[in-house]
Amino acid sequence: MMGPLIPQEVIGEGWNFFIAFAVGIGFGFVLEQAGFSSSRKLAGVFYGYDAVVLKVFFTAAVTGMLGLLYFSLFGWIDLSMVWVNPTYLWSAIIGGIIMGAGFIIGGFCPGTSVCAAAIGKIDAMVFVVGIAVGIFGFGELYPMIKSLYLAEYLGQVKLSTIFGISQGVLAFFVIIAALLMFWIAEIAEKKFPREEY
Amino acid sequence: MKTKYMNPYLAGVLLGLVLLSAFYFSGRGLGASGAVKSIVVTAVETVASDHASNSEYYSKYTGEGKNPLNSWLVYEMLGVIVGGFLSGAFAGRLKLKVEHSPKITSNKRLMLAGIGGILFGFGSQLGRGCTSGSALTGMAVLSLAGFVTMMAIFGTAFALAFFFRKNWI
Amino acid sequence: MTPRTKLTAILLGFGLIIAFVPENTTKPFRLTASEMLDEVQYGTELIHPDELAEWLINNDPSIQLIDIRSAAEFENFHLDDAINIPLNQLLDNEWVDYLDQDVKMNILYSNGTTRAHEAWMISRQLGYENNTVLMGGLNYWTETILNPSEPNSTSPDDEIAKYEFRKGASQYFGGASNSTPSATEGKSKKPQIKRRKKKKKVPDGSC
Repeated sequence: MMGPLIPQEVIGEGWNFFIAFAVGIGFGFVLEQAGFSSSRKLAGVFYGYDAVVLKVFFTAAVTGMLGLLYFSLFGWIDLSMVWVNPTYLWSAIIGGIIMGAGFIIGGFCPGTSVCAAAIGKIDAMVFVVGIAVGIFGFGELYPMIKSLYLAEYLGQVKLSTIFGISQGVLAFFVIIAALLMFWIAEIAEKKFPREEY
Repeated sequence: MKTKYMNPYLAGVLLGLVLLSAFYFSGRGLGASGAVKSIVVTAVETVASDHASNSEYYSKYTGEGKNPLNSWLVYEMLGVIVGGFLSGAFAGRLKLKVEHSPKITSNKRLMLAGIGGILFGFGSQLGRGCTSGSALTGMAVLSLAGFVTMMAIFGTAFALAFFFRKNWI
Repeated sequence: MTPRTKLTAILLGFGLIIAFVPENTTKPFRLTASEMLDEVQYGTELIHPDELAEWLINNDPSIQLIDIRSAAEFENFHLDDAINIPLNQLLDNEWVDYLDQDVKMNILYSNGTTRAHEAWMISRQLGYENNTVLMGGLNYWTETILNPSEPNSTSPDDEIAKYEFRKGASQYFGGASNSTPSATEGKSKKPQIKRRKKKKKVPDGSC
């Protein structure tokens, strides 16, 4: 049975929202279990004392990456039916910079803030409200930033295409990079110890 | 009180499997900012529907028969709330509080959270996704945008960390 | 062994394998046989020369003509702005972006309908959307548009209207008609993709 199941109409479209909900429960549960409901833990990677963000994020990305490639290899999923987010170079970079600032100032990202708000963190709730305000601001300013938003559209291009290597080889390099980061991170954690929050 | 968190590598693998199942079933990855966007769009439409249909940005999501709340991400976010809550409940971490470094006040923390949120909200729209949607999901499918966004977010945060260190350590 | 070391070993192992195993590049058939049969029976993929003529006259930017015949036949004569994808090159990587996209509607044509239909069937089974077939091919095009035959004065109105239109079109395309054309309708419709069964698409995963 070839995935992705709903786009291939193996199971009905009506299941989609149920699956979204179930995926969300898993997402929220794991995030909270890992400690992403604490802004101090999240910010920790930038100061060396807690690299949980790095470890979880990159392990998840690599697991997902390998999972997709292996599924494709076994014929369990048709990769061309999987959404690849399109690259608009300038908005990706500048948006990322603004988000990075938001991250170090607020100590959350949207997913983690909702998760933290769910367990009662008031600062997370304020963050979520902030997100809404920021989005509203963007909507209002849209006509002005439109040209930046739409600039440099490269299509739904994959990094492996840019480097001219196969997806598997790219995945391998990403794994190496991630592992290196893990080893460095653990050294940093030993150097900057802190108490668990 | 020391609290017990899951081993980060294990959590990462589990998160990766959640991501993989999203791809396998729905053909798409995770996301977060999009759900808040749907709520904002709905709110704007309810309160000032003319403005919504005139605006270039909102009109994409409003109009006859289109309910922005009826989106994959909104349902996913509802799940995140439930999942987070359950995990917190099992671990005994449910508590209404403002978490902040002992070096700053609660109010300052709230203000910083607000500012951070605004920046993230704006940036996520410009960047077409946040860490979960663009960076994490994007990297799993090897998209260029995913890597670029991820590097921009983490790079900037690292670069600015020095200036905000008093708020955290 | 710490978790980190275990993880390193596992990831490196899987990573090496995936780096060296060649990718699964088989293009799967995406339609079942019965879906294919339905589509063929409906005839939704056929485009009548009248429609094509109208779009061409209106310079409709959303269509793309694809000539399925050999390069020699293409050189000899082809419809304006058509690109040549000989049937035997249909699966070449070079043409994938033309055949598998959702921006323009491709109209495949050959002299008759057979070859264009063959190309259409294959591309349809690969799940490509937006490919259509010119009904009757160049032969029928010539017959209806370039050399329209005059209906009797007792024919129904719409026959006469159609003839007027085709006369005008023929002028436009340099056909054999030699009477002054009546003003052609200035309708600039987007080409209708006829009612099709909902087809599989990549979901919108934007956030």
